[in-house]
Amino acid sequence: MSELLYKELRLAAHPSLYIFMCMGALLLIPAYPYGVVFFFGCLGLFQSFMFDRETRDVFYTALLPRPKRDVVKGKLLLAVFSQLVQLALSLPFAFLRTLYLPQGNPVGMEPNAAWYGFGLMVYGIFNLVFFTQFYKTAYKAGTSFLIALIPTTLGIIAIEASVHFPGMGWLDGMDGASLARQIPILLAGAAVYAAANALAYRIGARRFERVDL
Amino acid sequence: MNALTVEGLTKTYPSFTLDNVSFSLERGRIMGLIGKNGAGKSTTLKSILNLVSPDKGKIELLGMPFPRREEDCKQKTGVVLGGIDFFQHKRLETITAVTRRFYRAWDQGAYERYLKEFDLDPRKRVKELSAGMRVKYLIALALSHGAELFLFDEPTSGLDPVSRDELLELFRALVEGGTRSILYSTHITSDLEKCADDITYIKDGRVLASAEKSRFLQSFQHLRTPEDAAPLTLEDIMVRTERRTFHV
Repeated sequence: MSELLYKELRLAAHPSLYIFMCMGALLLIPAYPYGVVFFFGCLGLFQSFMFDRETRDVFYTALLPRPKRDVVKGKLLLAVFSQLVQLALSLPFAFLRTLYLPQGNPVGMEPNAAWYGFGLMVYGIFNLVFFTQFYKTAYKAGTSFLIALIPTTLGIIAIEASVHFPGMGWLDGMDGASLARQIPILLAGAAVYAAANALAYRIGARRFERVDL
Repeated sequence: MNALTVEGLTKTYPSFTLDNVSFSLERGRIMGLIGKNGAGKSTTLKSILNLVSPDKGKIELLGMPFPRREEDCKQKTGVVLGGIDFFQHKRLETITAVTRRFYRAWDQGAYERYLKEFDLDPRKRVKELSAGMRVKYLIALALSHGAELFLFDEPTSGLDPVSRDELLELFRALVEGGTRSILYSTHITSDLEKCADDITYIKDGRVLASAEKSRFLQSFQHLRTPEDAAPLTLEDIMVRTERRTFHV
């Protein structure tokens, strides 16, 4: 594990982040907008940033023998780690649904391949907006979170609403044929997530290097 | 070789300018950075460490250009920023377990010796330490990774006289071998009378004087008045240089 991620997990991450990483268990609620799981992922990260401001984490990290921009890299590693672990931990619950809740989810999208693909896109968008906003100042976590929440919430609503449109039933399917059709969405989600994080780091680090602590 | 060279350091804020600050610190010496509150001492130290990004200026730490060799410079530097205590609720052993992973020259045996020497209990949390003990903990960390340059921003502010004296004693011991050096900002001038070799005086963002202590004191003796029986102290010099009159 990288030293930076180790540091984030042992010193910087707020305990609530670990609770939010387990929110995939919500997939066992019979009728629920499962996109909320992504919202909780974002909320956990925001809590952690607020906690870091209280613990003066930025001063500790900026004084470590690393370039100043590694402050941003450490936080982005934490974001990616928490989001991917959350999605990985949700997989068993998505599988259990197929056994115990075969009637499906009347509220929104089933947690299928498309759902995970869209989820990665939502996380990518959140990270891009939140990190680039936050590292303008390195202390305005609340404002940055609210700004990032706008596209994130719209994305979650779009995911949940999409399956209710005529002809979009395949997005909600859990059968083999539907899942096969959804694979490109999952791949696109992974690509968007990787690209958004790379851009979030590049812009966030450039902005942070100009911040006076 | 100088431990630290600062040339033409400039940083402009809307209501304050750190203007063309230059000085150098030789190895094995303690330099006091003095000036009243808001004079630019902390901005100078933060600019040296890249916590504040200067508009221009050249900085060399232990002969290495900074920030071009930021990682190498920081490997050899120990920092105490007064009033900034991180991870108050964490145990020292947890902070150390993380910190040591970042330093190539970390010496665990030495670290344990320094903890004993400074009476630090690794099971304690940061918030349970007195202000003086917190400074000692940061010094123990720095010594354990082989720091040769120590940058202290008001490390003795808020300490009782006994703790202050103890720390000054420790600072002198640090530079004894001739390889370690300390740049130490403070407005408690009596501390510097006791332990500094050189003084750099910053006033309104500019270096007013930077010299070996006795030469520094000598250069300000023109401020003496006929009523002064003894030579001026650092405090007298600061007070007379900064004194303002109010018309209210």
